[in-house]
This record gives sequence, C-alpha cells and structure tokens, in this order.
Amino acid sequence: MSSGQESLTAAWRARNAAAAALALSEDQMRQAINAATVEELVALIEGFSPARSAGPEWTRTFEPLVERLWTWRDDATMASLAEVFGKRGLPWMAVSNALSPEHGARIRTSLQHPAWARLPAFSVA
Amino acid sequence: MMQQTGAATVDRLRDEIQSVRYREATHTFCRLVTEENRPLKSMIKEAIAAAAPYVQVPSHMMRLPSGEMRGVNYDHTILGWRGAISLMRELEGKQGVLPSIQAMWYVPQGLNVWEQVICAFPGHYARDAEQCNRKFPGPDAQVDRFDGPAWNPPTIHFDDHESIQGGSVDDRLARMTWAIAEGNKSESYGLFLGLAKEPAHRKQLKEAILFAGIIDLQDTIINRGGYQNIGHKALRARALVDIADYLGWDEAHELIYTVVPDLGCSPRLYGLWNEIANICRIELAGIAVPKRSGKPIEAHELEALTEVLLWGGPYDVNAAIMNLFKRGAGILDVGDAVMVGFQRYLMDVLEHPNAFLHPTHALDYLNVVQAWVREYDSPHQVKAIFMAARFMNDTIRSNAMIPRDPKFALEPRKCHRAWADGIAIDRLLPILQEHIRAQARSSTRTWTGRPNAALCLILSHLPDATGRTIHTLCAIAAHRSRSIAITGCRAGTRSSAATSSTSRAMSSERLPTIAIGSLQTTLVLQREELAT
Repeated sequence: MSSGQESLTAAWRARNAAAAALALSEDQMRQAINAATVEELVALIEGFSPARSAGPEWTRTFEPLVERLWTWRDDATMASLAEVFGKRGLPWMAVSNALSPEHGARIRTSLQHPAWARLPAFSVA
Repeated sequence: MMQQTGAATVDRLRDEIQSVRYREATHTFCRLVTEENRPLKSMIKEAIAAAAPYVQVPSHMMRLPSGEMRGVNYDHTILGWRGAISLMRELEGKQGVLPSIQAMWYVPQGLNVWEQVICAFPGHYARDAEQCNRKFPGPDAQVDRFDGPAWNPPTIHFDDHESIQGGSVDDRLARMTWAIAEGNKSESYGLFLGLAKEPAHRKQLKEAILFAGIIDLQDTIINRGGYQNIGHKALRARALVDIADYLGWDEAHELIYTVVPDLGCSPRLYGLWNEIANICRIELAGIAVPKRSGKPIEAHELEALTEVLLWGGPYDVNAAIMNLFKRGAGILDVGDAVMVGFQRYLMDVLEHPNAFLHPTHALDYLNVVQAWVREYDSPHQVKAIFMAARFMNDTIRSNAMIPRDPKFALEPRKCHRAWADGIAIDRLLPILQEHIRAQARSSTRTWTGRPNAALCLILSHLPDATGRTIHTLCAIAAHRSRSIAITGCRAGTRSSAATSSTSRAMSSERLPTIAIGSLQTTLVLQREELAT
C-alpha cells in the first residue's frame, strides 16, 4: 500500500469515527428534545439572544437546532413555541418566523434524504 | 420636477440648506449650475460652507436620563460630496452633475444630528430612524414635520477657529495627532488650518490626517450599541483629502471645518490599534514588510485567509495575516487578499439586504487603508491591514450574532450562479442597469453613453436619500478611483465563467475580477428582490 493510499484510508477511518460520534450525539439530542417540556425548549432557544449568546459560533447553530425541532417534535409543540416567541415582539421576530408552520413545512421537505442514510439531511453548523 | 420662482442665488441655496428645505435646495443647486452657469466646483464649495457649522456634535455618545448611553451618528454630508466628485468624471456633459445632485439632496437632511436624534430638529435621522413624528406629531397628521422645514435655526456646537502657526512642521504634526487623540478639538483644528497653508508639507499633512482616522476604530461592534464609529473617522479623513484636492486647498477652509474637529470627538477608540501595535512589535520588529512582494498570495493561502475572515475569530485573523507577512507577503498583497476574501462573504453567505450595512462600512474602511498605503509611506501601514481585516471579520461575526430570519432571507446566490456566470463581461453593467430600472420604474431616463459610466449613472438615480446610498456612492467611487470597477468593464475579453473562483482573483487580473464578482452579486441581489 502506498503512503498516499494509507493516508486516504486513515483519513476515511477518522471521518467514519467522527460520523459515528456525530450520529450518537444526534441520537442523544433527539432523545433530549423529545423529552423536553415546552418551557425547557423555550429556555434553550432563549440562549440565542445576542445578549445571552456565547458568540457567533453558538448563534450560527440556531438554524441547525430549528431543523431538529421541526424534525423531532410535533406541530402542537412547535405552535406553542411560536406563540411564546411571537408574543415577545420585534426582537424575537426572526425566531418566531423560524417557528412558523410555513417554515416548518419547508424544512421538513428539504430534509428528505436517501433511504440508505442514517440521519436526515441536517445542517451540521 | 418642482417649479421654483425667483432668482436662484447662493444666498438662497444657503438658506434652503440651513432650513432643511432639501427639495428646494436641490432645485436651486441645479438651477445655479445649469441656468446660471455657476461652476459646479464653486457651488459644491458653497454647499459645503453652508452646512459646515452645523455638522459637528458635542459627542458621538449621548447620556440618556437613565444613565445609559446611546450613539450619535457621524456626519455623512461630506461623504456624499466625495463620492459625487469622484463619480462625475465618469459621466459625460451635463450628466456629470447628477452625482452632485444626489449629494445635495442629502445635505440639508444631515445637519444637526445631535438635535435630530432627540427630535429637536428635522432631517432623515429624525424622520426615519427615530420616527420622531410618531413621538411628537404636529397639528396636521398627514404631514411629517421632521421632513422639514426647520422650525428653528440649526445649532453650532463648535465655533470656527483661527489657525495655529509657528514651530517646526514635524512638531506641529505630532501635536496635531496627539491633540486629536486627546480630544482637543480646538488645537487639532487650529494646527491643521495652519499646516494646510503650507503646500510644501501638504503630503505629510494628508498622510497624518488619514493615519489619525485609520487608527481610531472600535475593536468590536458586537453588543456595543453606539460605542463604535464603524470606520467613519477614516472615511471622513479621506473625504477631506480628496475634496480639498478637488476644490484646491486655498478654498478648503469650510471643508476642513467640517471634518477635522470631529476627528477629536469622543469616543476615541484605540484599543484595537494598541492590540495590533503590540502583536506587530512582538512578531515583526526589525522586519521591513514591502508594499508589494515578489511572492504574491497563493490560491491556498487565499482560501485559508478567507476561511478565517468568514468563519474564524479575531485571533484567527491575527494569526493568518501575521503568517502571510512572516513568510514575505507585501502589505498590498495581503490587503488585496482581504478584499477578495470579503467577496466570498458577499456572494455566498450574506442572506439579508440589511446585513450589508456594517460589512460595507468595513469595505469602505479597507479602501481608505489601501489608498493610504498606496499613496503615502508610513512605518505603521502593515498594522492597518490587520485593522481592516479585523473590522471585516467583526462585522461578519456581528451579523452572525443574530438568528437569521427565514421570512426575509434571500435565496442563496449559488442558485443564481450559473445565470450570473453566463453573462458576458461587457453585458454586466447594462443588465444591472436594466434590473435597477425595473425596480425604479418611475425613472424615464435612458442611458446611451459609455458603458463604463453606466454604473455611476445608475447610482445617481437610486431613489434613496439616506446614508446607505452615500456609502454605496463612496464604495463605488473608491473602486473607480483605482480603475477596479471600470477596468473590469473595459477588460471585456475574459470569460465571465472564471469570475466565481476567488482563487483566480489573485492572478494578474485580480482587480477586475474583484469588481466583476461584486457586480454579479449585485445582479443576483437585484434579481432576487425583483422576484420577491
């Protein structure tokens, strides 16, 4: 085996290990989101306020979180979340729009994935 | 077009500017230039003089009754004139006056900013951003009284001063820059006036005032509210230099009055400058970084720099740029690479038109830095590239601090890339013009002149009287002054399919590529806005 081929194989192994770790993490996230109350989900989303965000790297994960919420929670829960943030007015408009049924429908359609894939076509970051 | 009776005179123009009758002032300005045949240069000087006493503010921070503070905007009137003067050279005949009309339209609306933000004086800040008429409506509900005219004279916050003379030039330049840093407006202004009278030392003076503007820059705008200047001190310093060169320095007193005192206005922000000075002292001491090297930026280096500009943190940016300088890259090599990296953000990442606001200020600031590096010599120029890159990265990070609103997001530009790449270079400007015309359907003008001037004409027609257009004028004017946008149009022979590759941008034809990337982005944005 040439050194180039060894390097490729090692890189692919590392990638597969990362994918397995990510899949495990996603499954834990799925369980946590499923088990969470509306109040707990509200608290999680509140962490994306510019005043509470740990930084751009954290806030950039808002869209990936919204994808998972629309994938793993039911419409009633999403409607409750939208109602909470909709009442907060302009500063939370982006969040409440992300929780709107129209946006949810777009996300659920866009996340359709080949049958062989283990996870929906989530954004990673 | 409004009808106006009576003679068009400079006194009338002055009165209309100071009483915030911007429609009338613009009409009088047009009549003076076209009917009275008054020289455009002279009328620009008169308009600047009429506004000069009223563009200063006590501070760019205002203490609120609660004890908290809010920001007070910077004067934009002078930025409009600079953009107009630069663009007029691209327009033929009487059309050369159009950018100046755009600038004139803005001037009466941009006076007494301090009073505008507290709803005590009309103008575009009071009318639009502050929505003063909702808070303090007049007797007629159909009339927005903050659209003008003024109900009292504008306030003068800083009186004109005599020049300060005597002492060596080096000593006076040092005193002037320190007076700016210390906030001693009277001394810095007086010293500048005295130095401006000495043509033999003018280049030193220009270099010094640009340097003073460049080093005053916030380290971050994230969650800082008004405690920032988003590059305005540098932008205004360059406006001073460029307009004075146009008017003639002997005719520039009111222009200097407009710009120089504000450089010493609070807040003065030197934290970022000190950080960059420290890291350069540690890593680059004794190393003479050339302006241009024989080792241009490689494609993989550009990719790495772009990655940290768009997705990295501030210290990632420091490290990436330091690595380029340490391996022998020149100041302008890295500055160009920062400019190209920013195009990736415009083309592939930015999703909402409002999110352009701060990044375009950073772009404008980089243009000032690049001009300063090209035209003058200073041992500090390498630091200014760090400053500009940090500013760009910070505005990108600031935008990323706010969750994106899917309701207003634009379709990703990559969806339109094949369409944009399919447009031949010599068709870019005409198609851009067509799309903008489709948006501004009220315009009945047609353009039959030189294609490379079409963009200037388009910008002159933009139906917008706010600072956003002023900054657009400035950005395009900066491109024009380096033959970037125009050269891009003149090139005409290159395949536009190559323009989406930023790595290609670092070839010998990199500057045209930058502009074409921007034009394609603009086209795509226009197309999306039309679609919505």
